[in-house]
Amino acid sequence: MTRKSRLSEREPGSKPWLGWLADTALILYFVFALFPVAWMLILSLKPADQLFSTYFSFTPTLDSYRTVLGDSEGIPFVRFFVNSLVVSLGAVALSLVVGLPAAYASARWRFKGSENLMFTLLSFRFAPELTVIIPLFVLYQKLGLFDTYVGMVWVLQLVTLPLIVWIMRSYFADLTPELEQAALLDGYTRKQAFFRVALPLVKPGIAAVSLLAFIFAWNNFVFPLILTSSRAQTVTVGALSFLGGDRPKYNLTAAAALVSVVPPLLLALTIQRYLVRGLSFGAVKS
Amino acid sequence: MSIALRGVRKTYGRTTALDGLELEVHEGEFFCLLGPSGAGKTTTLKTVAGLEQPDSGTVELDGTDMTGVEPYDRGVAMCFESYALYPHRSAYDNLASPLRSPRHRLPAAEARDRIGAIAELLGISGLLDRPVGQLSNGQRQRIALGRVLVRPARAFLLDEPLSHLDAKLRQSMRAELKAIGAVQHTTTLYVTHDSVEALALGDRIGVIRDGRIVQTGTREEIWYRPYDTEVARAFGRPRINLLPGTITEGGGFRSADGGGAPWSRGAKTSGEVELPLGAEASPGTDVLVGVRPRDLALEREGHGTDGRRPVLTGTVYVTEVLGRAVEVTVRLGGQHVSLVAPRAEATHLRPDDPVRLTVRPENLLLFEADRPERPGRRIETSTR
Repeated sequence: MTRKSRLSEREPGSKPWLGWLADTALILYFVFALFPVAWMLILSLKPADQLFSTYFSFTPTLDSYRTVLGDSEGIPFVRFFVNSLVVSLGAVALSLVVGLPAAYASARWRFKGSENLMFTLLSFRFAPELTVIIPLFVLYQKLGLFDTYVGMVWVLQLVTLPLIVWIMRSYFADLTPELEQAALLDGYTRKQAFFRVALPLVKPGIAAVSLLAFIFAWNNFVFPLILTSSRAQTVTVGALSFLGGDRPKYNLTAAAALVSVVPPLLLALTIQRYLVRGLSFGAVKS
Repeated sequence: MSIALRGVRKTYGRTTALDGLELEVHEGEFFCLLGPSGAGKTTTLKTVAGLEQPDSGTVELDGTDMTGVEPYDRGVAMCFESYALYPHRSAYDNLASPLRSPRHRLPAAEARDRIGAIAELLGISGLLDRPVGQLSNGQRQRIALGRVLVRPARAFLLDEPLSHLDAKLRQSMRAELKAIGAVQHTTTLYVTHDSVEALALGDRIGVIRDGRIVQTGTREEIWYRPYDTEVARAFGRPRINLLPGTITEGGGFRSADGGGAPWSRGAKTSGEVELPLGAEASPGTDVLVGVRPRDLALEREGHGTDGRRPVLTGTVYVTEVLGRAVEVTVRLGGQHVSLVAPRAEATHLRPDDPVRLTVRPENLLLFEADRPERPGRRIETSTR
């Protein structure tokens, strides 16, 4: 009986082996996608003398993590980690402060040159960073911004600001302007209408885009590589330091890389709830 | 507060929403703006509210030009057709929103009393704790109306505030709306596409079409002296009958059907029919004669007519029972006319039964024939 009803649930004409095929394909892709992570994890748990053993058995040890987080080997990894946090969070925060009003304005009003302005902003995203990196290096040296937090937060605006402005613009555009108009007639000023009505309604969007921007800022490699040396250097570049020296320490690099995955992962997990809502928010018309 | 729009033009890209609109709403008046969708009703309201800036022309409130005056400084309250409720707040918070704004702030306790009273009035007391997302459209519409009534305002701008209520509720709300003290004393500009609503509510009615006011007047003026055939068609269900014909030498009307014309004078049967209308139009003009279904009467067998009323002879095409009345569609030559008759007079009618219809001459309306570029305007006659 149950068997029969299960069969009848299937769409007519569909073949059961298609489902199996899809499952197998997904599992294969899953293995393919996660293999590098698993390989890194194994590498980071190997003791230094068994690093290059080709067979699978080894004695797991947390030595690599201890070394990396203990700042031994003369590489201040914890500092890089903190730098990354400060620089990425700073960049996202600044982009939100500047970008949210910009996104709102461009969604609500067309003014002379508004589309050109928006396109210019977008072009920062698709122009390769390498095209501007040398002039930026010279400028930063002269302005005293080289290897500083301020300099890094500033240059990362090229990464985070276009993202935040463009995504938030579509969130604001999805909101009917009548909500703010109602607020104006309720006796609120335009500023209050923005803060009390528009902003709370795009919160899911802010959460989603902040996470994305944070990940992009955190993962950025070229800017810290060229524009920092030690004080403001971030994990992406810092983790590579373990590869230098007389002998590449792959286990330490792997441990450093895995540690540096933690903040974006934690952030993603905490705002996951908003993420799902955020992605479907514009689709549902109340 | 009096509201005046003078020569207001508003375009969105290539579409013209308001095309030199002229409108005057007097202090304390309940003014209904009636028109089909896309006629510019909502744009008119938003222009008055200051949410849209006219391309040219001015909006005056109490005689003062409002150019450059922000919406929150105009002292008007508006109810949006889309409700525009704040979806992230509860029904109570939506109602409280105006009373928490810097402009209309009330102490919390006072605000609570005021909101309670309005909620009671609109029958939404039980909904106040709910997020507006959980409410039905009818409930949302009442919250939106409540948000307008809860605050002091010099004028109410209401955009189809009853359109999403079910028929029964709409009727009772219509009656209640006019009974609300605030509405009675405050200038109200009310937008609707429903002519019944406009007739029921409006002290005066303005008919808007393609961004212009076609006619303003009391319900009697709109009903008995419609500006053109479109206005005549907009009011009254079933719709007004419009029969084509021409003006005769004597200023009368001759139906277009020629020999087989159903019109006759007195009790005589069909033939060449002339209706003496005293029309102010030159002979030979193509015209439409209009008569409302409720102004046509079935002539009962055996009763003589008084000889003055024109009689139309035709055959029954179809009948439809509307509760206590019956809508009878009668074939007159090549035309169909409908009339509404008491049920007792019409129940025995079957298709193809011959019938005779009478109409009072003063209930006849005369229009120019419709032209592609504009509907036919009404022509003055001496019979009314």
